[in-house]
Amino acid sequence: MLPASGAALALATAATRPFTWPADLLTAVPIALLAVLVVARWPLRPHPRPAASPAPGRHPYRAWVVLLGAAVAWELTEYLARGSRGEHPTLSSISDALDRHYLVKALVFFGWLCLGLCIVLWGSHGRGRRLPSSERAEPV
Amino acid sequence: MSFVSYTVWALLGAAALGLWAGSHSSRATLARPAAVLERLATGPLLRVALVLVWMWAGWHLFAR
Repeated sequence: MLPASGAALALATAATRPFTWPADLLTAVPIALLAVLVVARWPLRPHPRPAASPAPGRHPYRAWVVLLGAAVAWELTEYLARGSRGEHPTLSSISDALDRHYLVKALVFFGWLCLGLCIVLWGSHGRGRRLPSSERAEPV
Repeated sequence: MSFVSYTVWALLGAAALGLWAGSHSSRATLARPAAVLERLATGPLLRVALVLVWMWAGWHLFAR
């Protein structure tokens, strides 16, 4: 049911053009839905998940942080560079070019929906999880 | 200049694919993409930033 609804929404949104009210409406629906799900399902105090058996002296997230930093730096460099967007493409302009293809746009939208659902589910981990005895308050 | 720009974007994409593949190897010390996002989604402040980035990305890509 959920995948079919998501696919239908993706196909409908792919048929819209940006800066029109149908595009606004169809994009706003999952955004509002995610906001509701996050408020309803996420624990007030999350329990950050430790990295799975990190090797001594190794940071399992470092390479991803470096890559994200490099991508953000290059995006800003291109965005602020003088010249046409064709000479200095940003992620937005590259995605605009891809979005001209109906099926590609539908797939990207569906992927965005799946990512949103995963974010809700991952953030819900630890919901109702019992604290270790060392962290529990002693009854008075 | 556009050749340099697209080359850098391609290298960044290749690096992402390389990290993804490396994180799935048997001796990986690198977190998998799902683990990175899960860690972000369970951080007190990072989870708010993650949701806002997701919302902004969708609005920017599909509506405006």
